[in-house]
Amino acid sequence: MATLKVENLHVSVEGKEILKGVNLIVNTGEIHAIMGPNGTGKSTLSQTIMGHPAYEVTEGHIYIDNQDLSEMSVDQRARAGLFLAMQYPSEIQGVTNAEFMRAAINARRPEDDQIGVMSFIEKLDEKREFLSMSEEMAERYLNEGFSGGEKKRNEILQMMMIEPKIAILDEIDSGLDIDALKVVSRGVNEMRSNEFGALMITHYQRLLDYIVPDFVHVMMGGKIVKTGGAELAKKLEAEGYAGLRDELGLNVHLTDEDVNSYFVED
Amino acid sequence: MVDNSVIQSLPLPTFAKVRYNSWQLDEMIPATDKATTPFFMKNEKNGIEVSGLSTTYQHLTEEMTAQGVILMSMIQAKTEHPDLVENMIASVVDKAADRLSAQNFAQFNTGIFVYIPENVQFDEVLHLTLNHLATSGKDLVARVFVYIGSNAKVDILQEMHTIGTQKTKASVIIEVIADSGAQVTYANIDSFGEQTTAFINREAEVRNHATVDWQNAEFNDGNVIIRLASQLNGEGSTSHTNVIGLTTKKQTQGLVTTILNRGRHSLGHIFQRGVILNRSTLVFNGIGKIIKGAKGSDAQQESRVLMLSRRARGDANPLLLIDENDVTAGHAASVGRVDENQMYYLMSRGISEQVARKLVIRGFMGEVLAKMPTKAAQQQVVEEIERKLKHEDD
Repeated sequence: MATLKVENLHVSVEGKEILKGVNLIVNTGEIHAIMGPNGTGKSTLSQTIMGHPAYEVTEGHIYIDNQDLSEMSVDQRARAGLFLAMQYPSEIQGVTNAEFMRAAINARRPEDDQIGVMSFIEKLDEKREFLSMSEEMAERYLNEGFSGGEKKRNEILQMMMIEPKIAILDEIDSGLDIDALKVVSRGVNEMRSNEFGALMITHYQRLLDYIVPDFVHVMMGGKIVKTGGAELAKKLEAEGYAGLRDELGLNVHLTDEDVNSYFVED
Repeated sequence: MVDNSVIQSLPLPTFAKVRYNSWQLDEMIPATDKATTPFFMKNEKNGIEVSGLSTTYQHLTEEMTAQGVILMSMIQAKTEHPDLVENMIASVVDKAADRLSAQNFAQFNTGIFVYIPENVQFDEVLHLTLNHLATSGKDLVARVFVYIGSNAKVDILQEMHTIGTQKTKASVIIEVIADSGAQVTYANIDSFGEQTTAFINREAEVRNHATVDWQNAEFNDGNVIIRLASQLNGEGSTSHTNVIGLTTKKQTQGLVTTILNRGRHSLGHIFQRGVILNRSTLVFNGIGKIIKGAKGSDAQQESRVLMLSRRARGDANPLLLIDENDVTAGHAASVGRVDENQMYYLMSRGISEQVARKLVIRGFMGEVLAKMPTKAAQQQVVEEIERKLKHEDD
């Protein structure tokens, strides 16, 4: 059992306040989805939890169990059980995927108990096949020359290899065709257990057809404005963010709010 | 034999921003040390290892022998193919090019000779290893010559090592001729030891529609000046000259990487990546020179160095000399720091800052690492990087 707790979180990027008081609790055993229009701070939240240096916490706290993350470096947060599947994973030539994942696993183990080559390869083969990834990917360089879909799969593969307590999936569905989306979803569903919690960030309800969340949060203007069950996502899909905003009486400008006027309703 | 006073009157080769006058590279005493067993090479299908004056490994497949390929030590080649050697040596690097090259010509007593007739295709790498036996206090003066005939194709991997710990010097000249239509990759891993002060001069002559791509890895531990040049003499001749270098402790590695576009529609690209630790110095001089008449030719260069210590010194100096209008050319140079996004990505998987940094530094040189012709050579570059990065906290 682990808990990620976000308390009154305010975050600025280059002096501009993006998050304006986010509160959120994610326990292992729960899948949460954060939805929201473009530019509302969803990715800022995920990067801040992981500890990206460009994001400055100006107020509030983030805890994993009772440890305050503000005192922890990025790698310490990861070893404490956090994982972030990134929107734009880095490419590193000269470092193979296999070497990278082994280093990540071994970073969590004492120096005199590093994972053996055989057990590592067995585990990698099992997870790789589960995600329909080719055998040669292990020896390819980290994300180098990977298509958008391959990169997303590789993020999920890393998650399955590392087995974090709480994973944040930042738009893991973007740029995926329907088959790839099913594969990636299968990976996340495979992880579902009392030992694993997830926070999924997405624009689209479609992902939530494949990974059914326990909680859906809607973010607007740097805050969570509404929380509900899986049905909230369906309602959003039908009514759009502007509908919810107006229902809640919020004064928030949405980047793309004029788009619906182009469609004729039937 | 060239008169010594003539040699001494020649100028030293130019290595801008590298002070090497005190290295005494123009006073060499050729070593005559011998060895009986190979130091590095075993089971190579096509390979030779020359250690001091001895050939410690030599093998060529029957197929290649039957096609007329010659792979032997310079000593053996001088005996068995005297006319060929006589004609070839110093045809790329002139025997009076500069004081150090002239001295090498006058004094060399070992090396490797390779002759690949036209149309011969190597499916597997051709491996050349040259070991300096620093056991008697004398110096290595060696010459490597590689001729690749018309439309022949080969990937060459060349290594240089120091065996022994005596403080000595090395002078090595490597000449390559790629005849018309030849396709050549020349990868080298230079790993002379800390006690070896060296002058390395590699030059290729690239004829019509031939290609010589260099993958040049400089992991020497001592003070070294390295010249790497391609003469694109032929129409449509090509060279991608890729260089990585890593310097540690108090050493200096100074490079001049030159491409001369003489042929029409010739293409010369220089790509250099250097990493500088401790109190060391790494200098990249990139020279792209386009001769009048080389219409439609292309000269590009990009040099980047990573400074990982405040006491390190690094330079990336691009120079384009263009004497023709109908060309494309460009350059970029920078002195930078470790990629923060890559660091973040690796650390977000729990990898410690120290390990992540090593992997990111390797990634900085990854483009050349990835182009090494064999898995074993790639692994060797990885190990050389790891070995040199052990000094990071010195």
